[in-house]
Amino acid sequence: MSAAAVEAAPAAPSGSLIRKIAWHWRYDEKRELWIGWWTLVIFYNLYGVLFFVLARTQPPPEPSLTPAEIVQWFADRHYGLLYGYALVFIVGGATAIMNATLAYTMRRMSVSRAFAYSYLVIYALATLPGMLIMGVVCTVGAMRPDRDPELMSWLYDFAFLSFEGTMGVFLIGSLVWMTAVLLDKNRVFPKWFGYLNLCNALTEVVVAPAWIFKRGVFAWDGAIAWWINMAVFVTYTAVFLSLLRKMILREDFGTGPLPELESESTGALEAAS
Amino acid sequence: MKTAASTASNPRAMARGHADDGRFVPGQPDMWAFVLFEALVFTSYFTVYVIRRTQSSDLFLQSQSHLDLRVGVFNTLVLLASSWFVARCVQAARERSFRAALNNAYLTMLFGFVFLVSKVIEWTTEIERGFSFTTDEFFSFYYFLTGIHFLHLLIGFVFLGVAVYQLQSPARRSQEMVETCATYWHTIDFLWVLIFALLYVMR
Amino acid sequence: MQSPSDKRLLYVWLALSAITLAQLALGSRGEAASLTPNAAITSSAVVMALIKVRFIIREFMEVRHAPALLCRLTDLWIALTGVSLLGSYFIGRMI
Repeated sequence: MSAAAVEAAPAAPSGSLIRKIAWHWRYDEKRELWIGWWTLVIFYNLYGVLFFVLARTQPPPEPSLTPAEIVQWFADRHYGLLYGYALVFIVGGATAIMNATLAYTMRRMSVSRAFAYSYLVIYALATLPGMLIMGVVCTVGAMRPDRDPELMSWLYDFAFLSFEGTMGVFLIGSLVWMTAVLLDKNRVFPKWFGYLNLCNALTEVVVAPAWIFKRGVFAWDGAIAWWINMAVFVTYTAVFLSLLRKMILREDFGTGPLPELESESTGALEAAS
Repeated sequence: MKTAASTASNPRAMARGHADDGRFVPGQPDMWAFVLFEALVFTSYFTVYVIRRTQSSDLFLQSQSHLDLRVGVFNTLVLLASSWFVARCVQAARERSFRAALNNAYLTMLFGFVFLVSKVIEWTTEIERGFSFTTDEFFSFYYFLTGIHFLHLLIGFVFLGVAVYQLQSPARRSQEMVETCATYWHTIDFLWVLIFALLYVMR
Repeated sequence: MQSPSDKRLLYVWLALSAITLAQLALGSRGEAASLTPNAAITSSAVVMALIKVRFIIREFMEVRHAPALLCRLTDLWIALTGVSLLGSYFIGRMI
């Protein structure tokens, strides 16, 4: 980065996309941050496709299925599970880049480094039950479809409870980010994003009844425990991706408050914060 | 909201009680983003509840008859009073009578605490009578809605603590922070008003 | 220290409490009939609750002094809540 930054950068080309990317690769001092941001955008979309379309483990099926129905469930998506999770395991490591980029925002704040460290550790932990263990267990189920139905239902419960089990991690992760945003004096993120973290944290609490209920709105496929929670989480994710993009545009690699963007007039919500 | 930004620099005291001049957003506009978003989340919970309720209205009515309406009314009156005190606290702080503002903030806490205690007593009574989280769908919703509201109220005490901290020292006393905390507190109040109507009164 | 604004807040609180007591009267009506659905009681309870909510937002939260956008957004939420609660109640009963 430093060598490219010292070199007098020619004006950004207006030509083809490839030339633009080449220019940014050579001269953009925010190259690494943009790589992190694009990793986030691409992999959130990819995970959406893999979990919802290919493996079809989301939206989650009913917890109340009988062992025979569970065998059928595994049979219905045999190749989807095998290929879907094979791909998940290839790209899964990208979570490291994603989490590092998010932790970077907290390092840029005026708050203690402990926030970024806790965030990194806690989301590294979330990858394990939320993605890797669930993937292994689903693949184990799909691999030998002629297994004892009782064992298959054991795998089924294990897979989905492991996935649901990340809720507490997301709860604490959101609260860590919230506290950092609210305490920050560098204006890395607007204060309302801090409060939005609280909304997200509170909907994670609502997942807890999935431990108790096998059917109804509080079960792991329920209207409240899954659908509303997911709607909030998707909104939250879309918001932080766009705020992160703005943050990278504003980044000056200093230690003081982040400058506001000159081109865009600041929104009403940020103006007063 | 554009006007909010331009009038934000006006002294708040000018705006108080005289709508002709500067209109202002009470507290941080950021908190209002939270209020509207969280209110929408609650609307979705309430809607799911009403839909489930219409699908088995006999069961819901039967179980609802085991709740004591008078306890619900008591809860509501207590929380409304706490909201009233926090509104008085904001007014007093704006008029720079910080002693009165602090007293009103303490009264808010007191009434909030009475609400918490009466909620715990109500839960204990229901559980002793054999109605728990898993008894039936009505009681699942009852414990869920009152429980998630309880959690919001606990967070409200953090906000009240911030308001008291602001009011205590002449070095701080940010009117904006006091209003922000009050806005959060009123939000849990009006969400309870809806929960009360939906759990205790509707048929 | 009894200022006009204090008096106004007192009246708001009295009105809110009065509506709550009206809801108590509404909810205790017809003990024997309390096990049958009642659209009139449900609609009144929800509408009274929404009136209270609007009172709290306008007066206690001081939205009446706020810019028009905030007034409209909060009213929009109240309307949305009313429509979804009563709508799902009446449509749900027909299904």
